[in-house]
Amino acid sequence: MKAFDYIRPKSLEEAVGHLTQGKRVNILGGGVTLFLQIQNNELTPDVILDVKALPGFHDIRYHHHHGLKLGAAVNLQHLATGLEIRRHYPLLNQTAQELASPQIRNRATIGGTLAWASPVSELVAPMLCYDAVCHTWSPRGTRTIPVSELYLGDFKTALEPDELITHIHLPSFPARTYGVYQRQTIRHDGRRMIAGAATLAIHKHHTLTNWRIAVLGVDDRPKRVPEAEALLEGAPAEADIARALEAVQENIHPQDVVYARSDYRRAVLNALLQRSIHDIISNLQDS
Amino acid sequence: MKHEIQLIVNGETRSLTVESQQTLLEALREDLGLTGVKHGCSTGECGACSVLLNGEVVNSCMVLAVEAADAEILTAEGLATDEGLHPLQKSFIDHHGVQCGYCASGMLISAKALLNRTSRPHEEEIREALVGNLCRCGAYADIIKSIQVASRARR
Ligand SMILES: Cc1cc2nc3c(=O)[nH]c(=O)nc-3n(C[C@H](O)[C@H](O)[C@H](O)COP(=O)(O)OP(=O)(O)OC[C@H]3O[C@@H](n4cnc5c(N)ncnc54)[C@H](O)[C@@H]3O)c2cc1C
Repeated sequence: MKAFDYIRPKSLEEAVGHLTQGKRVNILGGGVTLFLQIQNNELTPDVILDVKALPGFHDIRYHHHHGLKLGAAVNLQHLATGLEIRRHYPLLNQTAQELASPQIRNRATIGGTLAWASPVSELVAPMLCYDAVCHTWSPRGTRTIPVSELYLGDFKTALEPDELITHIHLPSFPARTYGVYQRQTIRHDGRRMIAGAATLAIHKHHTLTNWRIAVLGVDDRPKRVPEAEALLEGAPAEADIARALEAVQENIHPQDVVYARSDYRRAVLNALLQRSIHDIISNLQDS
Repeated sequence: MKHEIQLIVNGETRSLTVESQQTLLEALREDLGLTGVKHGCSTGECGACSVLLNGEVVNSCMVLAVEAADAEILTAEGLATDEGLHPLQKSFIDHHGVQCGYCASGMLISAKALLNRTSRPHEEEIREALVGNLCRCGAYADIIKSIQVASRARR
């Protein structure tokens, strides 16, 4: 890799100094994407600012009322194994378990994963279903950005170059919330993703409400499909499901890639979603 | 930018001077001579460079040496003890878990990480633990068998 300086600030005050010197600074989470970008000369930083020693960046706090706070430097392995995640956000847990490899999950962080902004960033799908909000900090102050507003398409985000994700927040969900994650990839590591989908609904009075469908690999960013979600409210019959699946197809724009044509990605997504919706409904019938 | 760091490698504290951009893989192989750690793809896909960093398996090509300052690192060289080879190493030899050998040290490290958590893993758990390790000889069946036998042999 080309030479750069590595700094590991222990406070945000210390970080300000480095971010305002007019140097090219890249923020380091787990590095599993950043180091590739540096190796390929896509990025040529003067300075790498490691966020892993900043206070609060490893926080994991759950409160049944306020929900979950996850520091930006928490790694994906924690999402795959942590008790509070498994118990209260099983869809996030399931997605993290299926993603990449133990080696990558042990390094990759939540902040880096959200900032990476790939159209196939799998963790974004459950984050969208759980209404996750990013909390950020820059030398100009703090702000909050819902994950649904973070992506501008084609790897662009609403983050400023000197803006750090400090933590994310997920509201609490009722115990009877069901979620399913489905993916189809060429290889287990999701970098040859055909399509993926996270689906979630809340069981209330013998019906399923608050449906959320978040899709991956079929548009310029991971996104929810509210047009389809609305059609599933209540106790969806086969005809409703068919209409919802059609609504998904009308609202996606998959690209051809060397390993999957766009029409194939559409077909795969359709199958994944059909399975997911039926899974959630049968969960309701079993309970 | 140079950094003076210490690494606790296979139980021994080692002091070294590294550049910011130097990877842990480079430090282990080139500065400490631990060539059991293999350089494969540089992109985190093949797992040949796997080491345990504070007990967790990572690709050493995707960690800066300076990020690992003060950490405990286990490489394949650290598996054997004065009493001889680690049961995983013996089993890899006995059950042909090593074909050309390039992936073997990474496989051993992933297997070690698994056995640290789960003493009697199912085949499915072994497969999942090896998702980040490629074997271009395709010796997966023998590798999985080697790990299974080693885990049974342990008690
Ligand atoms: C071999 C391999 C397999 C993979 N498999 C999968 C898979 O199956 N599914 C999947 O979805 N993904 C997969 N990925 C992608 C991987 O999940 C992401 O690259 C990773 O999560 C990024 O996290 P990180 O912490 O390493 O980010 P980094 O590489 O550290 O950073 C990524 C980007 O985010 C920025 N950044 C980092 N932290 C912050 C912060 N706190 N605030 C603001 N910006 C920040 C960096 O500057 C950089 O631009 C794979 C990657 C590899 C290398």
